[in-house]
Amino acid sequence: MNTYKLIISTPDGSVFDDNAEILVVRGTEGELAVMAGHIPFITAVKPGKCKIALSESSEKTATIGGGILTVQNDKTTLLCSDFKWD
Amino acid sequence: MSGNTKTLKLRIKSVDSTLHLTKAMGLVASSKMRKANLAMAAGRQYEKAVQNVVDLLTAVPDCQSSPFMREYKDGGKTRLIVIAGDRGLAGGYNANIFRTVRDFNEAEIIPIGKRACERYGKEIVSSEKFYAADAFRLAKELCEQFANGEFDRLGIVSTNYISMMTQTPDIKWVLPLTKSENAQNTAAVFEPDECTILDIAVPEYLSGMIVSCVRESFASEVAARRMAMDSAGKNAQQMIDELQLEYNRARQGAITQEITEIVAGAGN
Repeated sequence: MNTYKLIISTPDGSVFDDNAEILVVRGTEGELAVMAGHIPFITAVKPGKCKIALSESSEKTATIGGGILTVQNDKTTLLCSDFKWD
Repeated sequence: MSGNTKTLKLRIKSVDSTLHLTKAMGLVASSKMRKANLAMAAGRQYEKAVQNVVDLLTAVPDCQSSPFMREYKDGGKTRLIVIAGDRGLAGGYNANIFRTVRDFNEAEIIPIGKRACERYGKEIVSSEKFYAADAFRLAKELCEQFANGEFDRLGIVSTNYISMMTQTPDIKWVLPLTKSENAQNTAAVFEPDECTILDIAVPEYLSGMIVSCVRESFASEVAARRMAMDSAGKNAQQMIDELQLEYNRARQGAITQEITEIVAGAGN
């Protein structure tokens, strides 16, 4: 599957800066997943679980403390005040 | 003569202990430097990312009516977040910050850093151990108060880290938000809508700014302390050299005098 550049940034530094296949977070309107080729998009993210699929076999989960998700053509940025890998 | 050499010896000893102290403080500062620089870089990166989002949002016409974008008029209430160090002995670091604040007499002050808290008589908040969660709590509170019109502009007084040798005090006005000049209209989709996202983004933006300023100030403080301790150490060494010279001269003088006395006594 296609991958895209995903950056997860917190005030204490960036915790993830790599290519990912899918990112799943809880948006204001419910859960959403971002895949490669998503349209430019900005939404607020609610506190909760976040799932990142790096490839078909490897997947990571984390707990985040709310933030903002920006999807741009070249990169996707998740800004959150708090981030912890599970 | 022996009284003179004794006082000189004592003075050399006391300057020597000062030299040890400045050396130790300089070393502590250098060891903190690396960590402080990394934290500063992380804070800057986050600040830049949040700034990008806010730039995008402020360019959207629908957001112009947001309470966070109301224009500041002269005579409005000002609030300042003043970031100073936890400790002294860092050259002009703290004094420069307080001098900058002096231009705003009527401003309400929110100090961060023990020195600033003591000066403005507020509860002690450390600037070395300042966490993102503290910043977020503060930012949320300030945003609510700003939206309610309790104050009209918010500035952060902090120190810009330019290099190891130079740090300058500076005020950044963070609220109200201003439309950035290089903002381009994006065709991005906002969910649920621009204003809601702006309301959520502003506390994030503010806390990002606060954290980044605190980290940068701390790096500046450590650098300033290192420089101050370096030059204090140099001065102490110079003073010891001068005193040592004087002591040697006094000692030599005493010996010469003693010999003269003995010779004079033997001559009789």
